[in-house]
Amino acid sequence: MSNINGKVYAMNAITPMKPWKTWILRLIFFVLGHVKSLQQDLINLSFIEFARWVVVPRGGFPQLGNGQEPEKLTYDYLLFFSNFNGTWNQYIDAFSAVLFKGLDLIWKWSEKFPGSVPVTIFKEYIGRVQFDTDYYFTAYPHATANDLKAAHSVQASFDDLRSRAANLSGPEFADAYLNFVLQVQPYLGETGEAPVVF
Amino acid sequence: MSKLNETDIQGFVLRGYNLPFGRYIFIHFKNPDRAVVLISKLLPMITTGQRWDNGKPPSTVNIAFTHRGLAALALPDATLLSFPVEFQQGMKKRAEILGDTGRNAPERWDAVWHGDEVHAWLGINGLTAEALETCCSQVRALFAETGGAIELAAQDAVSNMVNGQQTGKEHFGYTDGFGNPDYLGIERNSQPGHGKQLPDGSWAPLATGELLLGYADEAGELPIAPIPHILASNGTFMVYRKLHQNVATFRKFLDEQSANYGGGREKLAAKLIGRWRDGTPLELAPDAPDQSIVKDPTRNTNFTYGADGAGTRCPIGAHMRRAHPRDAFGFNGKLIDRRRITRRGQTYGRFVPEGESASDAEDRGVVFMVLNANISRQFEFVQQQWIEYGNDAKQGNDKDPLIGNHGGHGKFVVQGDRSASNPPLICGHLPNFVELRGGDYFFIPSITALGMIAMKLVDPR
Repeated sequence: MSNINGKVYAMNAITPMKPWKTWILRLIFFVLGHVKSLQQDLINLSFIEFARWVVVPRGGFPQLGNGQEPEKLTYDYLLFFSNFNGTWNQYIDAFSAVLFKGLDLIWKWSEKFPGSVPVTIFKEYIGRVQFDTDYYFTAYPHATANDLKAAHSVQASFDDLRSRAANLSGPEFADAYLNFVLQVQPYLGETGEAPVVF
Repeated sequence: MSKLNETDIQGFVLRGYNLPFGRYIFIHFKNPDRAVVLISKLLPMITTGQRWDNGKPPSTVNIAFTHRGLAALALPDATLLSFPVEFQQGMKKRAEILGDTGRNAPERWDAVWHGDEVHAWLGINGLTAEALETCCSQVRALFAETGGAIELAAQDAVSNMVNGQQTGKEHFGYTDGFGNPDYLGIERNSQPGHGKQLPDGSWAPLATGELLLGYADEAGELPIAPIPHILASNGTFMVYRKLHQNVATFRKFLDEQSANYGGGREKLAAKLIGRWRDGTPLELAPDAPDQSIVKDPTRNTNFTYGADGAGTRCPIGAHMRRAHPRDAFGFNGKLIDRRRITRRGQTYGRFVPEGESASDAEDRGVVFMVLNANISRQFEFVQQQWIEYGNDAKQGNDKDPLIGNHGGHGKFVVQGDRSASNPPLICGHLPNFVELRGGDYFFIPSITALGMIAMKLVDPR
């Protein structure tokens, strides 16, 4: 059991909300979901593979039968789930440094949320509400999101060159090959082992 | 912010002395009672950050301690345990984190680092070789007089001379020392490109707490610091790394790779680091060095990478672009403002001009010293994530071409364009141009803190 698989870290955080506040958050999610420009900063953090917030209403927990009593929950819950590359500290530092307004908007409805700035108290909060990962499958443990995007770019350029190569004369191929190299030259980093966690 | 109390801060922290002769003496404390007597006798000799209104002094003395050294001085356990974990562990135990493995592994370091004997670092600099010797004799006489310390080793350093002139050039021929950050409250001839970039594109000093303990940092918090507060305040942490330079390997690499590179040998040397060897930034002058830029403080650090996303001027993986990415990761540089370090470096060994034969076996390199408030967040992060790894720069596992621990397996992509003089180039099988020969993490206390240590007045509460 580990939150880390190769170059990827999986973070789960679950925070309780008073039910009347859940409606405010739902409205905020509606706006954030429909105004793409508001998501841009999150998308631009290139070490984040995935980030999602989900409201789990207090009546929405599964009841398996077999004598399991229905629970009477006082709070709704906000589940945050993210996969990212790099260190836990780096991730939260970056959130606090550049996404603090968005984070506060989403999390301020949760109980005891201290704000995403200053970062030390924010980290303590995340530490308290984080649930460790039981099982974690990663298709490419030796690759980051950047590595995967780079590989797609290289593949697309290569496929394009290959499809045209047979019909090119020598000089034309030389030119097409140079074009290919210029297209892929920012995307040639190695994949491999992740740095030691610290 | 008001001015700092410069007389309470060791001078080495506030400014690079730029004195040509240096010696770093590593000492071991045998007995805490005698050691504190030594410190009290050294105290009046310690160079503070007070301004030099009458020019540079003939020599300077500064002192810093390892965690073991502070323990050997019998500081209270509650204080010792309050230091940041990475400082308590020391650099050797952090080798895996830092990528100090293989050719850079601690087993290959100089003998002085093999035990855990080093308790303190005495940094002595001189305007002349004679002044350095005089000062060292005075310090060493105190070792003998007090019986407070034994000398384990001394590392000499001397600025490289070219045509009889002191230069800022290191052994590969690069002009060094452009990019140290500015900090709030520290007097310095500030120039654009130092400090942090603001959303409007202008530059401002970093928060004082990125360098000094006891002040707010870029996150608006006080850096993690030992107790009591007065022991930590106005102090900082130093990373000492002796970096051996394989000059023969470096020159052979340039010869071989430039034979297939339309840009030529000098441009290839520039692409490795991001500046021409005379110091001209590639971002500002991609085609040829330009001394008018180097000499102009409003220009020589005043550039960004945003318009060069493809790296056709300064390669994406170049040393300088990794170590100080400026705006390269977006967000107006906001992601890097808490990863900045201040560098104090001095060359050691004989400088061999191009054209004369050099051997890797000869003892030469750079004594590389980093100052930062938080070793883990600043130096260790830069070393692990940006030097020995490349994901933030979108270069995968590729390492810093110049100082990476490649072990013969490194790769460096020089991005280019369609012009014959700036073609793309992929260099494979990179060797270690630089090898680590030892070092440790040190605490540089304030003058007040030194006095407390000397008088055995450190109380954790």
